[in-house]
Amino acid sequence: MFGLFGLSYEFRWSVLWVDPHLTWLLNGLSTTLRLAAISWIIAVLLGIIFGAMRTVSFRPAHAIATVYVEFFRNVPLLVWLFFWYFGAPEVFPEFLKQWFIRHGIEFWSGVAAISIYHGSRLAEVIRSGIQAIPKTQLEAGLSSGLSVIETYRLILIPVALRLIVPPATNESLNLLKNTSLAMTIGVAELTFAARQIETYTAKAVEALTAAALIYLVLCLTISMIMNKIERKYAIPGLIARGTGAEH
Amino acid sequence: MIEFRGVNKWFGSLHVLKDINLAIKQREVVVVCGPSGSGKSTLIRCINRLERIQNGEIIVDGISLSGKKTDITKLRAEVGMVFQQFNLYPHKTALENIILAPIWVRKQSRAKALKIGKDLMAKVGIPDKLDSYPAQLSGGQQQRVAIARALAMQPKIMLFDEPTSALDPEMINEVLDVMTNLAREGMTMIVITHEMGFAHRVSTRIIFMDEGQILEDESPELFFTQPKNERTRFFLSKILTH
Ligand SMILES: Nc1ncnc2c1ncn2[C@@H]1O[C@H](COP(=O)(O)OP(=O)(O)OP(=O)(O)O)[C@@H](O)[C@H]1O
Ligand SMILES: [Mg+2]
Repeated sequence: MFGLFGLSYEFRWSVLWVDPHLTWLLNGLSTTLRLAAISWIIAVLLGIIFGAMRTVSFRPAHAIATVYVEFFRNVPLLVWLFFWYFGAPEVFPEFLKQWFIRHGIEFWSGVAAISIYHGSRLAEVIRSGIQAIPKTQLEAGLSSGLSVIETYRLILIPVALRLIVPPATNESLNLLKNTSLAMTIGVAELTFAARQIETYTAKAVEALTAAALIYLVLCLTISMIMNKIERKYAIPGLIARGTGAEH
Repeated sequence: MIEFRGVNKWFGSLHVLKDINLAIKQREVVVVCGPSGSGKSTLIRCINRLERIQNGEIIVDGISLSGKKTDITKLRAEVGMVFQQFNLYPHKTALENIILAPIWVRKQSRAKALKIGKDLMAKVGIPDKLDSYPAQLSGGQQQRVAIARALAMQPKIMLFDEPTSALDPEMINEVLDVMTNLAREGMTMIVITHEMGFAHRVSTRIIFMDEGQILEDESPELFFTQPKNERTRFFLSKILTH
C-alpha cells in the first residue's frame, strides 16, 4: 500500500510488544528516568549553589561561580559526555575508577556530564531569579541579625525559585531530552533501545516513533507537574504567572 | 547608646558623610531630616553596618563597629530597622515574617515566638491579619507588620528610614501612632522623616543634614522657632508650607 517511489515499507507495530523488544524499551525508559532524575537533582543543587554565589558581593565566591558557569555551558554536551567517559576516569584515583567501573561507568559518566552541564545553565536561571528580587530584601534579612547564608537560604532562594518556574521547566525538559545523547557513550537508555530494536528488526519507523511518543509523554507530564507546583507555591496576592486571574 | 566619632564615608569619589560627630543616649528619639541626597539614609545605615565607613569610629551599645572581633550579626540583632518600602518577605505570612528572626537568630522556641508575634500584631493594631501575605495587606498594614517584625527581636535601638514616605496620606497616621507609642515606652529611636508634626510632638532632638554634614542638632522647640542655619530655615520654609 506504500508503493510510492517503488518503496514498499510494511508497518509492523507488533515488533514493539514482543519480547525481548518490549523489555529493551522498558529498560531503556527506566534508565532514561533514572539518568534524568539523578542528573536533575544534582543539576538543581549545583544551579542553586553557583547561581546564588554569582549574586554575592564576596569576590572569590563570585569568581568561582562565574568560571564554573562559563566553562561548562560553553562547551557542547556531547564533548562533556566524551570527556567524562573517555577522559576523566583515567585521572581518577584507582579506587574511584574501580567503583565507577563496577557500578556502570557509562551511566555515571552520563550523570556527571549532564548534571554539571545543566547545572551551569540552571545557575544562570537561578541567578536571574535572585537578581529580580530587590536588594533591600537582603538588607531586611541582614538587619534582623540573619547571616548572609541564612538570608539566602530562608528568603532569597525560596522567593527566586518561585519566580523561575517557567524557565526552569524549560531547562528541565532540555535535560530530559539531552539524556538521549548518553547513548553515544553506551548508556542503554530509551533512544539506545529504540536503535537496538531497529537494528534487529529493520523497523526504524516503529521503533523511533515509540521512543518519540514516550519522550513526548514524559515531557508533557513534567510540564503539567511543574505547572501544578507553580500554582501551589505561587505567592498569594501577587499575580500568578499564566493564570492572570488576580489583579 | 550610639556614638559617631569623626566619621567619614565616600561612595567612590562622592563624599557622603563629612566628619560626623554625634552621640545619642538611651531613650532618645532623634528625628533626622534634610534634602534628598544629603546622606540621611547613609548615616543610619552605618549604624548596623549595611554601609561601611572609611574612617572614624561608630560605637553602638558599647561595641565598636570597626573592631576586628565585633560580631556584626549579633549587633544587628539588637538594632531593628524599618524601611521605606516595608521589605516584608513576600512568600511568608505576616506572622511568619515576624517569627523568622526570633527563631533563627534568638533561637526562641516556635511556640514562644508565635505568642510574642501574635501579641505584637495586636500591639500594632492588626491582630486579624496574622495569616495574610504581604501583598494582601495595605501599605499601612505592611509597615506595621514590618515594625512588629523588628520589635520581635526585642531590639535596644530602632532605626526608621522614611517609614511613611511610600504610604497614601490616609495611612500615614496609623503608622505614626505605632511609632509614637513606641517612643512613649522609652525605645531609643532614630527616625528619618519629613513628618514635622511627628517630629515636633514626639522627638527629643532634631538633626538637620545637608551635603553630608550635620548642620543643626537641636531640641524640637529651638529647631522650629530659632534655626541657626540659613539652609535649615530655607528647608523648613519649603517643607512647612505644604
Ligand atoms: N550605594 C551607593 N553607591 C553610590 N552612591 C550612593 C549609594 N547610596 C547612596 N549614594 C549617594 O550618596 C548620597 C547620599 O545618599 P543617601 O541615600 O544617604 O541620601 P538621603 O539623604 O537618604 O536622600 P533621600 O532623601 O533621597 O533618601 C546621594 O548622593 C546618593 O546618590
Ligand atoms: Mg534616604
